[in-house]
Amino acid sequence: MELIQQAYNVLMTAIIVVLAGLIILSIVRSILGPGISDRIIAVNMIGTMVIMITAIFSVLLDENYLVDVCLIYAMISFLGVVVLCKVYTGVYLQRKHMKADLMAIEDNLKKQEALEEEEAQI
Amino acid sequence: MTGAWIRFAVSAGCMVLGLVFMVSAVFGVNRFKHALNRMHAAALGDTLGILFVILSLIVMRGISMDSLKLSMVIIFFWIASPVSGHMISRLEAMTDERLGEITVLEKNNGILVDMPDEERADVQASSKKGKRKKGGKGR
Repeated sequence: MELIQQAYNVLMTAIIVVLAGLIILSIVRSILGPGISDRIIAVNMIGTMVIMITAIFSVLLDENYLVDVCLIYAMISFLGVVVLCKVYTGVYLQRKHMKADLMAIEDNLKKQEALEEEEAQI
Repeated sequence: MTGAWIRFAVSAGCMVLGLVFMVSAVFGVNRFKHALNRMHAAALGDTLGILFVILSLIVMRGISMDSLKLSMVIIFFWIASPVSGHMISRLEAMTDERLGEITVLEKNNGILVDMPDEERADVQASSKKGKRKKGGKGR
């Protein structure tokens, strides 16, 4: 029984170490990534891996409450991604002087065509 | 005793499989050039990676309140991850002005490359338009 416990510990420790390395690689991508959406994708993946590590720790250390931490972390990371996407879409549209509304797609397209025509004339 | 070892083997197999999925997801995110391709790779880790890792933890724990909570994490992730993926892809479709263009491979010092990263960053950073030629009507 002692041996199998040791085997579980070695397995979970090894997986946690590898996941930590993967998190570092994702951080590298989130710094390098050229666009804002690349960074958001990388940060989202870091969140996934942190959830995995927390779940593994809850079994490794035999602490039940870490599973609740997992659930809440998942919810907050989802909320963070949604808010970041909304904010950056709004920032982009405001910079282009367009309306940030689903019903305004035709309006925005007309505006863009007018701008392109203007540019072609110049 | 043999049953315990079988359980260990099943959970170790699931965990290593999940780790393989995560490694391929990180590899894909670092390797692909465009954000939508990167999302394709990242979704692999969001669904199958977390499914197998948490499945192996459930196998370790057996049926209990904790494993119920762990399966709740999977269910929540499988609902939330497509929604966040949709939000990210909509952001990308709105902000990337060269999305509709077909990328042409060019020879750069004898190696086939598509657009270099710096050029894409310039296009996204400046509010000037980079002449969209194809597509883009349906957005």
